[in-house]
Amino acid sequence: MSQKYKVILTVIGLSLISAFWILWSSFNPVNEKALVKFISVREILNSKNIERVRIGGVVADSSIIVSPSNRMEVYFNIKEGTSILPVKFVGTRPDLFKHGAEVIVEGAYSNGSFNADMLQTKCASRYEGDLRDASSYKLDDINI
Amino acid sequence: MIPVFGSVSISLAASFSILSILLLLFYIRTGDYRLFLSGRRMAMVVSFLVIISTFILVNELISSNFNIDYVAHHTSLETPTIYKISALWAGQSGSLLFWLFILSIFSLITIHQNKNRYHGMMPWVLIVILIVQLFFLILTTFITNPFEATKADFEVVNGLGLNPLLQNLTMAIHPPILYLGFVGFTIPFAFAFAALMTKESGSLWIRSIRRWSLVAWLSLSCGIILGGWWAYQELGWGGYWAWDPVENASFMPWLTGTAFLHSIIIQEKKNMLRLWNMILIMITFILTIFGTFLTRSGVMSSVHSFTQSPLGPFFLSFVIILLFVCVFFVVKNLSNLKSDKRIESLTSRESGFLFNNVIFVTLCFAVFWGTIFPVITEAIQGTKITVGPPFFNQVTIPIGLFLLFLTGVGPLLAWRKTSIQNLKNNFTLPVIISLSSSIVFLFFGLRGYVVISLMLSVFVSISISMEFKRGVYSRVKRFNESILTALVTLIKKNRSRYGGYFVHLGIVLMFIGFTGQAFNMKKEFGLAINEQNHLGDVNLKLVKLWSEERSNHFSWIAELLVTGDDGNIITSLRPEKRIYFHLDPNPDRRQPHSELDIYSTIKRDIYSVFSSIDTDNNIAFFQIMINPLVRLVWYGAYILVFGTLIALWPSNRKKLLLQ
Repeated sequence: MSQKYKVILTVIGLSLISAFWILWSSFNPVNEKALVKFISVREILNSKNIERVRIGGVVADSSIIVSPSNRMEVYFNIKEGTSILPVKFVGTRPDLFKHGAEVIVEGAYSNGSFNADMLQTKCASRYEGDLRDASSYKLDDINI
Repeated sequence: MIPVFGSVSISLAASFSILSILLLLFYIRTGDYRLFLSGRRMAMVVSFLVIISTFILVNELISSNFNIDYVAHHTSLETPTIYKISALWAGQSGSLLFWLFILSIFSLITIHQNKNRYHGMMPWVLIVILIVQLFFLILTTFITNPFEATKADFEVVNGLGLNPLLQNLTMAIHPPILYLGFVGFTIPFAFAFAALMTKESGSLWIRSIRRWSLVAWLSLSCGIILGGWWAYQELGWGGYWAWDPVENASFMPWLTGTAFLHSIIIQEKKNMLRLWNMILIMITFILTIFGTFLTRSGVMSSVHSFTQSPLGPFFLSFVIILLFVCVFFVVKNLSNLKSDKRIESLTSRESGFLFNNVIFVTLCFAVFWGTIFPVITEAIQGTKITVGPPFFNQVTIPIGLFLLFLTGVGPLLAWRKTSIQNLKNNFTLPVIISLSSSIVFLFFGLRGYVVISLMLSVFVSISISMEFKRGVYSRVKRFNESILTALVTLIKKNRSRYGGYFVHLGIVLMFIGFTGQAFNMKKEFGLAINEQNHLGDVNLKLVKLWSEERSNHFSWIAELLVTGDDGNIITSLRPEKRIYFHLDPNPDRRQPHSELDIYSTIKRDIYSVFSSIDTDNNIAFFQIMINPLVRLVWYGAYILVFGTLIALWPSNRKKLLLQ
């Protein structure tokens, strides 16, 4: 076989192996955290137990309760549309976690409650609130 | 009044760019040189108009003219001036104008550099640049105009301002550096397209864009690394790379751009791989636009939030049009892109470069696949499957390691063909040393990818050192120079090659740093005063806990005494939990912020986050991480920049010739 074909065959071989590897990995994830279903709160409320799933929504108003015995443990509700899902999370909470924050949680669902081991906040919009007019804003307050 | 000029000058720029494109097309048709001159002048006017309107917007931002919606939404009276300036690229319409600003400066530089060169290609180069400018000008004129007036039925006395968490210098400068990289690839693309249209597909256009590609590549690298460094120092999750869609959007053109930098060497030296290089630079450029689409369209959920905007469809259409145009003209000129020479042997440096290219592109495809996987699964199955870092790591680690292997093999191969004897001579030492090093690593209990990665790092380092040694010794022999002089002249005589080797050494260091991740440890716990906990061989004792009220925030500060297993004091860490806007009566408007403290050595980082506090019982909660070898990633990055600068430094070959 001429060298030219050897080179071409190696190139094709390398590409095929890599493509096969990428596809194979898509069906055989290394662990349960590699590929996770993302479903809506309504869908999860209609299902029974799910081992690992990802949910997104807004932290419902005045639902955050930090456990008094362990400050790392937090309970809150995620709201998406009209559906509400109670969530428990133990761990360091992101700084932007608060009422009304957009969050993504990942974990297990069983019997109506969600046990999250990952809690991410979406970087809230950088510039919050409405524009202020003179009545709601006093120039004297500003220390430049 | 002045803001009106800003608005007018971008609209003018848009119409002038159309005019300029037409003039240049007519020049190509008729060959009347006056048309080219006026087209070029018009192109310069377009760029100047963009630059003027950018300065107008910056001026409005600095002087806090809240009658402009963009100024009111992105700055406030309290915003420090530097962040008023950086607000230029903080929002949607401003960042598009900023993109145009960089492109316009690049356009002027290109025009100036090639005043008396490449008369055949320049009209097409300018047309491509002008079309890209026109696309962005249309967006900023009709879709999101940065000079739009504030829509409020009252007088706005203050703007919204920038979240204090984002008032961080690294945070402020990493987007523009990334932009330099993104926009920078427009110029090589323009030259490539011009070469295609003028059938000038030899190595001429390659020589004209080598430096541009390097600058764009360096900026992209710096932008990516700075972003990771910022995340590591500020965000508190203990990592620097999360395979987030926005990160991937900048990583994909980096990968194809890196492949391009390698394969143009072959075209420059051997006039081979013409078609391949053409395709690579086209893919790289299209990926920069596609990346912008990914980050702006809201198709992907990402931690990087951009306001969801109507821009998505525009960018997607632009990408599709670009794809069609590129494919069409490449196919049309296929015969002209064929190289007359073939790679002669499997064991030649040419094939080494070719394989490296194939792997870079597959790596890019892997990242692309993972990034759009949620969209694909949603379209096919109806459920969105999100892709986490474990997937990306699973797929990319073996490919990355193979690439590392090729980095070591490349310099050991000769051009055209490596003889069996040469193969033996060149490979024996690196193979023996790296294999024996792997036995040592295995002996110390390391396993799996870690051993392979470290072994390959040894292999690459040895192979590069041998290159240096060979070069230096031959000079010492021939010219009787001292070793140091020989080394310096060696590098000076062939900057791009040896600069490239430095970049490779930087990458090796970074790979060792990445490997350290396999040993990351993490623990979360609560401590009362004088209590302690441990992680690995490190003990952490809470010795002090106090609070301070500062000018714009309130802070809880913990002092952790860190000792080793032997009882020796390693350091003390002072992570803080801050609350900004702490005086706001609405608790949800108060903004907590964890100020990390990191004790960093080459061996490992001890990373502390103040998670939470129980004020009733005076218990502080922490997240502690031990991240080995992270520093090597940053050191590797320094070497990468150093190496690229060597390669970029203008050589004084002309001077030598004159002498």
